[in-house]
Amino acid sequence: MLTSSPGGNGTVSHDTFLATGDALIALAERTLAVDAVVSRAAAEILLPAVPSGAAVLAVGGYGRRQLFPYSDIDLLLLFQSERLAVEQKETVAAFLQRLWDAGLRISQSVRTPGECAELHEHNAELNVSLLDQRFLTGDRALYAALAEKLPRFVQANRESLVRNLARLARERHAKYGNTLYHLEPNVKETPGGLRDYQLVCWLSQLREAPAGRIEAADTAPELAQAFRHLARLRCFLHCLAGRDSNLLSFEAQDAIAEQWDAGDTARWMREYYRHARAIYRGAVRDLDRAEAASSSLLVQFRDWRSRLGNADISVHRERAHLRAPQRLEMEPELVLLLFEFTARHGVRLSLEAEQQVAARLPRLRGQFGEIGGLWRALEAIWSLPYAPLAVRSMHETGVLTGLFPELAHMECLVVRDFYHRYTVDEHTLVAIQNLWEIGGPFRDLRSEVTRPALLLFALLFHDSGKGASSGPGGHVAGSVKLAQAAAERIRMPAQDREIVLFLIRKHLELSAVMQSRDVFDPQTVDELARQLETVERLKLLTLVTYADISAVNPAAMSPWRAEQLWQVYMMVYNALTRELETDRIPARAPLEAGRPEQVGFLEGFPTRYLRTHTESEIAGHMALEAQSRARGAAVEIRRLEAAWQMTLVARDRPGLFAGAAGTLAGFGMNIVKAEAFANRRGVVLDTFMFEDPMRTLDLNPTELERLRTLAERVIAGRSDVRELLRHRPRPALPSRKARIPARVSFNSAASGTATLIEIVTEDRPGLLYDLASAISANGANIEVVLIDTEAHKAIDVFYVTAEGKKLDEPRRQRLDEALRKVCGAGG
Amino acid sequence: MKKIEAIIQPFKLDEVKEALKGIGIDGMTITEVRGHGRQKGHKEIYRGQEYNVDLLPKVKIEMVIPSGRYEEVLKTLAAAARSGKIGDGKIFVYDVAEAVRIRNDDRGEAAL
Repeated sequence: MLTSSPGGNGTVSHDTFLATGDALIALAERTLAVDAVVSRAAAEILLPAVPSGAAVLAVGGYGRRQLFPYSDIDLLLLFQSERLAVEQKETVAAFLQRLWDAGLRISQSVRTPGECAELHEHNAELNVSLLDQRFLTGDRALYAALAEKLPRFVQANRESLVRNLARLARERHAKYGNTLYHLEPNVKETPGGLRDYQLVCWLSQLREAPAGRIEAADTAPELAQAFRHLARLRCFLHCLAGRDSNLLSFEAQDAIAEQWDAGDTARWMREYYRHARAIYRGAVRDLDRAEAASSSLLVQFRDWRSRLGNADISVHRERAHLRAPQRLEMEPELVLLLFEFTARHGVRLSLEAEQQVAARLPRLRGQFGEIGGLWRALEAIWSLPYAPLAVRSMHETGVLTGLFPELAHMECLVVRDFYHRYTVDEHTLVAIQNLWEIGGPFRDLRSEVTRPALLLFALLFHDSGKGASSGPGGHVAGSVKLAQAAAERIRMPAQDREIVLFLIRKHLELSAVMQSRDVFDPQTVDELARQLETVERLKLLTLVTYADISAVNPAAMSPWRAEQLWQVYMMVYNALTRELETDRIPARAPLEAGRPEQVGFLEGFPTRYLRTHTESEIAGHMALEAQSRARGAAVEIRRLEAAWQMTLVARDRPGLFAGAAGTLAGFGMNIVKAEAFANRRGVVLDTFMFEDPMRTLDLNPTELERLRTLAERVIAGRSDVRELLRHRPRPALPSRKARIPARVSFNSAASGTATLIEIVTEDRPGLLYDLASAISANGANIEVVLIDTEAHKAIDVFYVTAEGKKLDEPRRQRLDEALRKVCGAGG
Repeated sequence: MKKIEAIIQPFKLDEVKEALKGIGIDGMTITEVRGHGRQKGHKEIYRGQEYNVDLLPKVKIEMVIPSGRYEEVLKTLAAAARSGKIGDGKIFVYDVAEAVRIRNDDRGEAAL
């Protein structure tokens, strides 16, 4: 428990605060006591030597009469002229020494009235401190001259003062990662701290100061209440440390819980964050307003942004407003439209819109369950460029926990950990933000993700189990359970659910490997590859790991660690793609699984096939195979969410893969992914994922059947794909100055039976057909194919053989030349 | 007093820390470093592009201990950091002339 202070004038409020628990009384009392000490010392030392032409002013917190128990005392010694100040240097030194001897920590400045009414671009704090100046003792006429000058100075330099003040505030916010949710916040400096409360007051003073005077501004009751709470905390921290310490450390949090009988620490820390949030929101709102008002360029931009408005939402001063908020009563979907607007344009919600949503939240909570296709709506929002901002807005308005009550207990939750800097909810939001702003080689991985909403959902819930009752499996098991309930409630499709639950379940796996396993050991890599099963999962988990680690604290994802993660990714990626060729399904696997009828079809396919296809898909493929026996080939085309998929089964023959790729190219389709495998009996299963840029299949349903039939004919060798392509304009080969330089590499060591060809080049229509044709034309057989596209880059991996063996050197050279020609890379 | 500087495999860090804690050594400085000795780097090919992994990630541990304990600390550290493979790292030992605890001016072993 805290005890009374050792005494001295500097700590008089220490005892008052402990006796009353009232910070405002303690602050006022210390101010009065210090006023008395300063006035007495001035009367005895300073004023006898300088009876006129000098005055003592209180500035800063002291000027505002807000002296915390161990705060510095900011004094301004005002002199008529610089010459007089120099003459009285020794007197000033003696005066200050008396104050130090009295136990006061003085921060003084010596100025003339003229200097006080000058703009100090490099010492903006001086100008700001004068907003709170107060006469203590000395030459009243001299002070009157300053008091007359100051309002005129403020009026004339309002814009510069606001700009400097805003710059200081933004720098301070950035230093703390622009978030108030620190596990051990500084109650003065952290965003949402006392400094921000003062910022609101100063900006209000500068904005509203009438020509003749500067007045302390009144703040909203919510802010005044928050100030009282933080002031009480700061007093406590000073008393606890016996010095000007403002860090709400874990030890201090426990001491406060004990002293004030405030219940558990987590509960009252939530109270702290609630008050800090009120201050921070006020500060940011006023900063935005002040900066916008002082920048004509911003005004123009703001005006331009106002054109983004639509029938439901208007944009005014860079903020989104609801045109008819009363519609929220009847149309809960309007809330989602509001966040979609934020996610699309990066425009934050206005304070009014936030309040309108928050006011209807209890009712909205009940209505969210009635929104049909909620997952589809959320996925649309979370796939947009400013999705992290929308999620943050959803969090701040309470909509996020309205949609997902499972996340409620991680709100403002402090989990003590040496490395974590933020509360659990803030860590989650920072992780999501990091995923969108990801850099280095991980940026390419991120651009390959076609459904970022799955990653976002996984990150949103990855730590949701923290703070929930701990059971076996720790917070990860809890997170999986909560995510599963939420995903089922919003009717997330089973396949999507499987991915997000996998990511949550494994979100610590790569970190654990980096920390406790030799990442260069092939056993470690194989073990990871076995767990992750597919390249797609590896990519997603790598991104989740990157986002999670880098949200622990700003320095957590050091370049060293990022490099380690990238190496793990690369090695597991290589293990997974090599496994495509080497790891085949043995005949015993279907027998052991109790499905003897599958032996003939599955034996010899890569093991990856079993992992990436469900039982019903395998049954579908087997049905296609049955059809192909009668017709020579069987093709199925179906619509996926954002693309089309063609699956074909046929007896293998030279040029088959090229024929299928050529058919799609002939129809103007753009292949984005492809896989081709053959089983032990020489039956091939090829899957093509393709886009239909001209919407041919959507707009002409009969074309779908024509494409399917034609593909079957080409594959069965009854139509010539070259004939089909002859009628289409030949796409230009990429120039030698293409943005993505083409690379063709051969690797005979990666596989025991085939040569691996890896081609990275700029994507273009018909590329895959040209590559596959070049391979077939050179007498090579395609055993396995894995095609991927990231933005404009095609990454194609072929495992090829010639006469059942790896390629010999002459054929390798011929093929190298042919493939380079196709890619436009030259010989 | 001796200063011990050990370059070890990153995945051995927790084991080493635990082992040292077990013999009462808590104070140490850890740095993430890169380097190679006899364990040369290697090449990784990712999507047709070569990545030279010539400097491997390592962790550097530094600590100053009383001279009387350094054999015991060396043995414990080496045992915990050893996997038996190339790349396990190295330990260097230096003599330390003086140590000062800045907070209260303690000198010598009292400052450790």
